[in-house]
Amino acid sequence: MAAPTTLHRSVELAGTLPALMIAADRVASTVIQGVHGRRRVGQGDAFWQYRPFRDGDSATQIDWRQSARSRHLFVRETEWEAAASVWLWRDASPSMQYASLKNADTKAVRGELITLALASLLADAGERVAVLGGGMRPTSGRVAVRRVAETLFDETRDLGEASSTQKRALPSLPPLVPLPAHGTIVLVSDWLDPLDRIEAVIRYYASVGVRGHLVQVLDPAEEDLPFDGHVKFEGLEAEGQHTIRRVEAVRTAYGARLAAQREGLQRLARPANWTVHLHRTDRPPQTVLLSLYLAMADLRRLNAA
Amino acid sequence: MLSFGAFAFAAPGMLAMLLALPVIYWLLRLIPPLPKLVRFPAIRLLVGLEPTEQTPMKMPWWLLLLRMLLAAALILAVARPLLNPQADLPGSGPLLLVIDDGWSSAPGWTTRIAHAERLIQRAERGGRPVVLLGTAPVPIDQAATRRGALRPDETRTILRAFRPKPWPTDRAAAAAELDRMQVDPGAYAVWLSDGLEDEGAARLTERLRRFDGLQVLVPDQATTPLLLLPPVTEGRDMKVRALRPTADGPRKAAVQASDEQGRVVARFDLDFAATATQGEGVLPAPAELRNRMARLDIETQGGTGSTVLLDERHRRRPVAILGERATAGGQPLLQEIYFLERALDPYVSLSIGDLQSVLTRNTAVLLIPDGAIPSANDRVEIAKWIEGGGVAVRFAGSNLAAGGDRLVPTPLRLGDRALGGVMSWGEPSALAEFPANSPFVGIPIPKDVRISQQVLAEPTPDLADKTWARLADGTPLVTAEKRGQGYLVLIHTTANTGWSNLSLSGLFVNMLQRLVTLSRGVAGDGVNKALKPWRTLDGFGRLGAPPAGVQTLPADAAETFKPKPTTPPGLYGDENAQIAFNIGGRVGTPKPLVLPAGVSTDRMSEAGEMDLSRWFLLAALLLLLADLLISLWLRGLLPRAVRLGRATPAALLLAWAAFSGAPDAGAQQPQPPAPAGQATNDRSGPPPLTLEQALKGSLDTRLAYIVTGDKEVDDISKAGLEGLSEILRNRTSVEPADPVGLDLERDEPRLYPFIYWPITSTQPALSPRAAAALDRYLRTGGIIFIDTRDQHLSFDRSTGGNPDLKRLLAGVETPPLVAMPPDHVLTRSFYLLSDMPGRWQGGKIWIESGGGRVNDGVTTVIIGANDYAGAWATDQRGRGLLPVSPGGETQREMAFRVGVNLVMHALTGNYKDDQVHLPDIMQRLRR
Repeated sequence: MAAPTTLHRSVELAGTLPALMIAADRVASTVIQGVHGRRRVGQGDAFWQYRPFRDGDSATQIDWRQSARSRHLFVRETEWEAAASVWLWRDASPSMQYASLKNADTKAVRGELITLALASLLADAGERVAVLGGGMRPTSGRVAVRRVAETLFDETRDLGEASSTQKRALPSLPPLVPLPAHGTIVLVSDWLDPLDRIEAVIRYYASVGVRGHLVQVLDPAEEDLPFDGHVKFEGLEAEGQHTIRRVEAVRTAYGARLAAQREGLQRLARPANWTVHLHRTDRPPQTVLLSLYLAMADLRRLNAA
Repeated sequence: MLSFGAFAFAAPGMLAMLLALPVIYWLLRLIPPLPKLVRFPAIRLLVGLEPTEQTPMKMPWWLLLLRMLLAAALILAVARPLLNPQADLPGSGPLLLVIDDGWSSAPGWTTRIAHAERLIQRAERGGRPVVLLGTAPVPIDQAATRRGALRPDETRTILRAFRPKPWPTDRAAAAAELDRMQVDPGAYAVWLSDGLEDEGAARLTERLRRFDGLQVLVPDQATTPLLLLPPVTEGRDMKVRALRPTADGPRKAAVQASDEQGRVVARFDLDFAATATQGEGVLPAPAELRNRMARLDIETQGGTGSTVLLDERHRRRPVAILGERATAGGQPLLQEIYFLERALDPYVSLSIGDLQSVLTRNTAVLLIPDGAIPSANDRVEIAKWIEGGGVAVRFAGSNLAAGGDRLVPTPLRLGDRALGGVMSWGEPSALAEFPANSPFVGIPIPKDVRISQQVLAEPTPDLADKTWARLADGTPLVTAEKRGQGYLVLIHTTANTGWSNLSLSGLFVNMLQRLVTLSRGVAGDGVNKALKPWRTLDGFGRLGAPPAGVQTLPADAAETFKPKPTTPPGLYGDENAQIAFNIGGRVGTPKPLVLPAGVSTDRMSEAGEMDLSRWFLLAALLLLLADLLISLWLRGLLPRAVRLGRATPAALLLAWAAFSGAPDAGAQQPQPPAPAGQATNDRSGPPPLTLEQALKGSLDTRLAYIVTGDKEVDDISKAGLEGLSEILRNRTSVEPADPVGLDLERDEPRLYPFIYWPITSTQPALSPRAAAALDRYLRTGGIIFIDTRDQHLSFDRSTGGNPDLKRLLAGVETPPLVAMPPDHVLTRSFYLLSDMPGRWQGGKIWIESGGGRVNDGVTTVIIGANDYAGAWATDQRGRGLLPVSPGGETQREMAFRVGVNLVMHALTGNYKDDQVHLPDIMQRLRR
C-alpha cells in the first residue's frame, strides 16, 4: 500500500500552488460560517463598508464614530466571512487499478493523489473538506487532510480485505447522499460508465444546488489503445472478455467512442454549471490540479490581490 | 536413390510427404494463432466494435512461412539428403576392406580412414556386411577384436580404433588370414594400400583377385611415404638421407630437429633430384646444438618412417689431447698428437692444449699421449676430474715405462716388453678377440695389426676384469678402471707407430671412437647387456611408454634389430643411457607397388558424400524454437522487456542473421548493434570531454549545479550560485567564474569541486551512465551538496526519507550519512556558524559518516533541506529574489555564510580542522 507515500506526494503537490480559495457564489444559511471574507456584506469581524442608515436598521449597528464626523448616520458593515464545504470523492473500483506501463501510477493512485492534494490545498485555505459518503462531517485545518486520507485508505483497505473473502468492490459511481445546498463536490473517476448512470448522479446533486467538478483520470493506453493484432480483452470488473481480431482496425472507432463519452460528460456537466477536467496518468498531476484550482478559485479576488 | 547432380536423397519415398505441405498450409491458415490476453478497464467501449474489413483472422505471412519451412525441413530430413552422393557398391556379397596399416600408412591416415568410413557407409546403405582386415601385424597389447563379416556399424567402431603401426606390413600373413577367415567369395574387395611393394604384395593381390571384384586404392603423391634414414656422420657434417618409392620429379622435404622437450632446434631441407629416390640434406647445426637434438622429423609426414630418434652416437663430444700441436718445422709422422688428431678429428670436436686450458673447457675425453706425461700435481687434478665423470685415455711409451706414475688402471711393471725385435725370439703379436666385457666388442680386427712393444701389467686378481683388449698371447693391451663417474683407460702401447702399427689401422679409429662413447653414458658394463625398452614410437611417430609385452633387445641388437610388434622402434636402455632404434635402415627400400594388369585402381580422397539429414533436423529444431518464442510473444506471455512491438520479427531475423552469418563479428566490433529496444547497460569509462568543456571547467574555478529539468528550480539554482559566487569574490580569496549547469546525462562532473543539486520530484531517475559518472566524481574527491528544499514541508522529519532523493540517488553509491555534529569543520571553515539556515531555518545537515576514513575526512555528500539556492539567489543589484523566513535579511546573510563555508570546505578540505590547533602549536613553539 502506497498510502503514506501518496500522502507525502499530495502534500508536496499542494505546496506548489498558493492557498486556494473557494468562490462562494451563493450564500446560504446552511453554510457554516468560516474564517475568510466572502467579499460581501455579512457576519464577520473584518470591516467591509459604511453605508447610510436606512429604516429598519438596528440602532446597535450604527457606527457612532463615523456618524459623528458628518451629519448623517452610518452603519458599519462587516465582510461576511464563511468557509465553503467541499466533499471529495474518488473512484476506487477495480477498473481504477490499472496502469499500462510498469513504472506508471495506476489510475487509482493518481486519483487518490489528486484528491489528497486538493484536500491539502483546501485545508490550507481554511476550507472544510470531507469525503463524500464517508460519514464524515466537513472539517478544516491540517487534521482534515489527515482525516480525508484516513477515510480514503480505510476504504481501500476494507476493499483489500474484502476482496480476499468476498467479491465486494467499491462502486464506480459516487454515492447519492443528501448534501446541503451550495456545497461543492469534486468527483475523481475514469467516468467510463454509461452516460445515463452518470447523468443520474449529476442530476441528483445539481438539483439540490451542489456545484460539482468532475475529474476524468485515464491511462494513456485507454486513450490510445496501443495494441495490435489479435487481442482478447478482459475487463477488470468482471465485464467478461471481448476478442478483437484486428485491434488496429478498431482504433479509430474506439477513439470516437471515447470522444463521445467525454462529449457526453461535458454535455451533462454544462447545464449544471459543473466543470470537467481531463487527466492522463502519464502527465504530471500538477496540470489537472491547476485546472481544478482555476475552476474552484475566486479568480476575481486573485486578480485583485 | 534419387539424384539431382551433387544432391541426392537416400530415401526418396519420404519425399511423398511433401505432397502434404499444401494441406498443412491450408490447416495453418485455418487455425488462427491464439490472441493476446490484455486486461483493459475501458472494455465497455470496445464491446461491439468489430473491424469493418471482413477478412478472416489469419496468421502473419512470416509465421506461416516459418511453419511451412519447419515442416519441409522435417520431411527433407527423413528423406536422407546426401551431398556428393556415390553409387552403390558393385556386387552383392560382403564388402572386404583390406587396409595397409604399417609404418608407411601414417601420412594421409585420416584420408584413409575417411575413405574407409565412406565405403562402410555405402555398404550400410546396401545392407551388406563388412570384413575389415589390416595387413600389419597387430600390436601385442591390443585386445582381440571380432573378425570376419560384421555389421557395418560394428566395423565402423573397429575402424575408429585403427591406428597405423610402427612396423612394416606383412601382406603374406594377411593373405593367410584371409584364407583362415573364409570370406564369402562373392565379396567385393577394396584394398586401401600404402602404395609400397613388399614380398607379400603379389600373394595378397592374387588372393584378393579371387573375390568377386577388386579395387586397389593408392595414395596420391602428397601422401606417398618417405623413409628417413638415421643420420650418418661424414667428416664434420652430419648427413641425413631419406628414401622415396618413386622418382617422380624433384621434391623438397623439410626436416626439423627437436630436442627432448620438443622444441625445434634446427630445420633444413632434403633435396630429391628429379630422377633419384634418395634425398639428402646436411644437418646444419653447430656441435652444441647438435648435442641437444633428440629426434628428426620430416614435416607434414607424421609417422614412424619419417622420424629418426637420435642418441649419444649421433653427438659430437669435446675431446682434448694433452700436449702441444706439432710445430711446422717438426716431423709430424713421429708425433703422437698427429695420429690421435687424424683418428678423431672428423668425429669429435677436438682441442689440444696444456692441462689448465683443457680441463677448464668442457671436456668429455682427455687423451694423454706418452709425450705429455703429466706432473704429480697434474695427476692429482686429472684423478679428481675422472672422479667427476671424465674419461682419460693414456698411451704407453718410454716415459711411462720408466715407472713412478701411479695414474694407471692397474699397476705396471717397470720397463717395457719388446716382441719380435732383433734380439727377440717371438714375432710381433696380433690382437686376440675382444673379451665380452669390453666396449670394443663387435669391432672387426684387421689381420695385420701387430704390436711390437708394450708395457706390462702386474698380474693382480682383478686384472682380467680390467682388461678390455688382449694380445694373442693373453697379455693386456688395453686396461681400464672405473673411477667414480669416469674411466681411466690405458693403452699399453704408443699412440704413434713407435711400438706398433695399431695407430695406422682402422681399428685404432674404431677403438678411439668406442672410447669416446664411454663418456656418453654407454658404459662398458652396460654395452653388452640386453636392452630394456624405455620409450617406444607409435605409428604416428609419437614417443610414449612402451606397450605391455615389448621384449628386451639382445646384446647384438645393433645389427639384428627388426621393427615388429614385440620390438617396436624407440629408445632402449634405462634412464641413464638409451640407444635409439629407428625404422629407417631396418626395413627394405621402399619401392612402388606393382599390380598385375586388370586390377582397377583409384586414388584415395578425403571428400565424399555427406549425409545432410542432421543439418535439416537441426534447422527444423531451430525453427521450432523460433516458432515457440513467436507463439509465446503473440500470446503476450513473454516478459514485457521482450515484447518489442512490431519490430520484433525483424529484430529476430536480424539476430538470426548476425548469429549464423558472422560469428566473429563481435570480435571486430566492440559494441555489436543491439536489437531494437534493448538498452545497452553502459557503465564503462568516463565520457570524453570536449576541449571547450575541459577548458571552461579547468581554467577557472566554477561552482556547478545539477540541471533538474524544472526550469524554475534551475533558474533559482543558477541565480543562487551567481549570488554566492559574488559573495565569494567580495569576501574571500576564492574568485569563482560564472556557475555552470550540469546535465548529468551528458556532462562530466569531474571538473567542478562543488556541485549543488536541488531535489525535485520531476527530475527523472539517473541513467546507469550518469550514476556511474556521479559515483566516479564522488570517489575521486568531488563534493556534492544536495538540497531537498523541503524543510517547510517535512517539519524536521529526517531528510533521508525524501522519496525523490532516494529515487535520484538510487544508482549512486552513497556513503552512510550522519547528522552533522556541531563541531564539524563545516561550521568553521570560514565563518564560525552555530546554525545552517537557508531559505528556511532548522533541520539538520547530513554528512558522510566516514570518520576521516575516506577522502581525508572531507565529506563527499552534504544533504540539507533549507533551499539554500533560494536564499542565495540575488538580482543584479544584490537584492534577494525570494523571501527568506523567518529571519529575513539576517538569515539571508547567515545563508550566504553557510555557502561560503561550504565552498571553503570543498576547496580546502579539513584544513581548518587543523588550524584550530594552531594556538596550541604556536604556544609550544614559543616555549
